[in-house]
Parts: sequence; C-alpha cells; structure tokens
Amino acid sequence: MAHKAIYLLFAFCLWLLIIGKAGKPGPEYYTLKLPDSLPKPVYDFSKNPLTKEGIALGRYLFYDSKLSRDSSVSCGFCHQQFAAFGHFDHALSHGIMGRVTSRSVPTLFNLIWQKDFMWDGGVNHLEVQPISPITNEDEMGMDLKELITRLQGNKTYKRMFKEAFGTEEVNSQRMLKALSQFMATMISFESKYDSVMRREPGVTFTAEEQGGYKTFQQKCASCHKEPFFTDFSMRNNGLPYLPSMNDIGRMKITNNAADYLRFKVPSLRNVLVSSPYMHDGRFFDIFQVFAMYDHGQEKGNTIDPLLKNGIPLSEKEQRQLYMFLNTLTDKKFINDKDLKEIMIED
Amino acid sequence: MILGKTNYQNAAGDTFNITKFQYYLSNFSLTDSSGKVIKLSSECFLIDEGNAASKEFTFANLPAGSYKSISFMIGVDSLLNCTGAQNGSLDPINGMFWTWNSGYIMLKLEGTSPSSHSPGHMIQFHIGGYRAPHMTQRWVTLPYTIKCGQLGFIARIRLSADIYTLLNGISFHELAGFMTPGTAADRIADNYQHMFSVKN
Repeated sequence: MAHKAIYLLFAFCLWLLIIGKAGKPGPEYYTLKLPDSLPKPVYDFSKNPLTKEGIALGRYLFYDSKLSRDSSVSCGFCHQQFAAFGHFDHALSHGIMGRVTSRSVPTLFNLIWQKDFMWDGGVNHLEVQPISPITNEDEMGMDLKELITRLQGNKTYKRMFKEAFGTEEVNSQRMLKALSQFMATMISFESKYDSVMRREPGVTFTAEEQGGYKTFQQKCASCHKEPFFTDFSMRNNGLPYLPSMNDIGRMKITNNAADYLRFKVPSLRNVLVSSPYMHDGRFFDIFQVFAMYDHGQEKGNTIDPLLKNGIPLSEKEQRQLYMFLNTLTDKKFINDKDLKEIMIED
Repeated sequence: MILGKTNYQNAAGDTFNITKFQYYLSNFSLTDSSGKVIKLSSECFLIDEGNAASKEFTFANLPAGSYKSISFMIGVDSLLNCTGAQNGSLDPINGMFWTWNSGYIMLKLEGTSPSSHSPGHMIQFHIGGYRAPHMTQRWVTLPYTIKCGQLGFIARIRLSADIYTLLNGISFHELAGFMTPGTAADRIADNYQHMFSVKN
C-alpha cells in the first residue's frame, strides 16, 4: 500500500514536471539556411539570436497596421511579398491619410549583408531602420513612445513578447529586434541564376540568357556585383535631376557636395518583379532604364567615373539582358509561405 | 536654469527662453593624486534640465584614495550610435535619436527668441554626429577633490551647465537652429565642452 502511494506520488510529480515544462517552453532557436559560398553576414546575430518565436513576433509586427497612427498602414502595406517586398505599381511610397513621400519603396531581401539602409544610406543598422518609416509623418506617422504604449496594452503582444523574450515587457528594443529577426529571414538565393551557378542538374541558361549574362558581366557587374547584384555603394548613375523633386541624395546625409545625387546601388535580384525603378520610381519598364544608360544620362560633376561614358546597349543586348534579368527572379522567395502576410485579429 | 518662462540674454544681445534642455553624459571616471584612473560607470545618463535629480550622480563602492578630478564624456560613444536598437536612456522613445540619419542627438536645446526668423521665433539646436569629420562627443575633466578613507565610499556629484558658455558666439538672428551633423554642430560642441562645473 505504502509502495503504491509512493509510485502514485512519483507519477504525479513527473506529470507536474512535464506540464510545468510544456507550459513554459523557452524560445526555440532557428538557424538560417544560407548557401556556403556567401560571405559572413554583416548583421551580428550574437546580439539577437534568431528564434522561432522572435521571427513570429517580427512577422506579426510587420503585417500589423496598428504600427501606424490611424491603424491604416503596416510595413507589409508598402513592402509586398509578390514584388520582392517592394511596392508594386507605385513610383513613390505613400502612407497614412493619402500622404506621399519623395522616394520609392526599396525591395527587402538579403538585408543581413547590408551595412546601411535607405536610398541615401542614412540609416546605419537593420535594427534601427524600421523607426524611420514608423515615425515619418508621410508614412506610418506614429510616435514611437505612443506605439510602445499601444502595444503594451495589447494582450496578443504581451503573450508574443513573453514567448520571444521571456517576459511580457514590451519595449522598442525588443520590437526592433523582433522585426529584424523576421527581416533577416528574407533571403533570396533560389533563382534560376543561382541554380545555374550551383550547376544543379538539368538547369542551364538558354542562349539568350547566356548572351545577357555576358553583357551583364561586361557592362553592369562592377556596380551590381555578384552574388548580391549590388556592391552596396552609393553612386550618381547619371539619372537626370528633377527640379520638382529636388532630391540631392546622399548629400542630404553628409552635407558633402561630392555626394550630390549619389544614391544606393539597388540589387538586381528580383528586378523584373519589383518595378518601378530608380530612387523616385520614375521608370516603370526596365527598357526605360536601359535607354537611360544608353543615351539618357545627365552628366554632372558627381557622375560616377564608371558611368561617365554611359552604357551603350544595342537592341539585341537589351533583349538578352532582359532575358538574363528574368533568371534573377526567385519564385521560391516571393511565394515563401513563411513570409506571407498574416491576419492580425485584434 | 529655469525652463519656460524666464528670459535670458546672450552675448549677441538676443533675449531668449528655453523650453527643453537635454543631453547625454557617459564614461564617468575619477583620477587620483597619483594619476590612476578609476572608472565609475559604463552607463549613459540622459540629463534633463527640467529634472534636478537627473543632474546628480551617485557612484557607490569607490576604492580608498585621494581623488583630484572627475572626467566624463558629453554624448554617446560612437559604437553605441551604430550597433542597433538600444534600451534604457538610449531608447529612441526618448526623442534623442535621429531616424533619417542614424545617430544620437548628444544635446538638445529648444526655446524661443524674438531674434529668430524661424516660424514661431523658435530656436532649435539638436547637436549630434558621431562620424569624422563631424564628431560631437567631447571629453571633460573638472577638478573634484575628495578623500575616500575606506573602500565603499559613495560619491555624490552635482553638475551645473552654463547656458551662456553653450551659446558663446551664437546669434539667433544668424543661426536659430541646427539639426544635422555639420560644422555648426561641431562649433557648439566645442562650446559645450567648457560649460560644466562641479557644484558640490
């Protein structure tokens, strides 16, 4: 009898232990799957290790329009997955109450290799990047302090912050780290181009694509450097200055005249699904971009030395370049269900 | 200094009042009579002129010794300006972080002056910049003599900032504000390097 009681007590304790553990699981670490050939990311994961719960919180925040002043605009409102997280069909990004900014929405992927952000490189770290659109009055127009108070009062966030960070405390640092975790998972290295480079069986460029790749290597690759298809630099590519926009580019950040009209070199990955092009989205068609380099530049003082003679592109080269750029579309990425918009219910 | 109502007059003859005056101090240390430096805290303090308590610093557990000066940095270490989301006094909700051109505002002074041509006669100085050539952090060393008989001594330090030194050479008629890294910010940083004194 005594033995039986001890067994029962033991079983009960074991049950408590299991329930206790199941009730309080720690966050589960998540490892990004990256091709071996890539350089080490710039983003320091040791200060913000990826967890399933952290990424889930970041995704929830990314698609939650409560991050904007009148709860009308989320990050995902402008950063649309099917457009490689750029903004389909909008030259300039727009925000709450019909307000419009002076720049186009950049695509979001492979951000963990990027040292600075925005068209003018004014933002110096992935984690502080979201503060800019959240607080800009023409975008989400939200005061950061008010936003934190708003999230603190929300049951779902209390639970999700606890799951991701161990306690219910909602603060801006945790919010920004969670958003960064989600953005860190936006990785695009699964295009046809990547398959060809990895010599995957049965995948080859067509003759047209191969011709385009050759033109790309000869005429584009020094700025749009492989494997990221950007060297992350800022340059004046000769895009004519528009007085109505009066956008001086990088000079706004540095106050240095040498930076006049210099803008970030965007990646060409997913380029054909992420029109319009240029910092002000003035070109809706990639052939307009080819034409600009061929004969439409404005060659001011700060024009990039590599581009001062333009890029002559024959009709055939343009066609083949188009075919090659098409191989940079990563369908797995733009359809990845783990990055898809989610319903925010409260 | 009294925020809000009191009118002051700078050397250029501009009358002005101050509605907000905040700044970061960090990297506090003491130097003893042999020249040895004792680090007091790695914390970054956000000082608000409207909050007297924020101008008093308490450092516990000092080693025994005879100290002759206190040193600190005005501003936030360059590294903390570019290593992502921070917390506590460095939380961007404090309104001391530039979102469009990343980096901390090391010192913020706002008010009004009839000499200012800005809307509402505002004066607005948000002084920052952590990258060469426009760096606005400044090191300060002030005489501060204390003797600590035994380990565990607690130092209480009250600092005072002189607004006239901060605005030395500034005419609000010519410069009513500055809110980016740049030469004018560097000049004001050179001024604020000399604006502090120890009160106790």
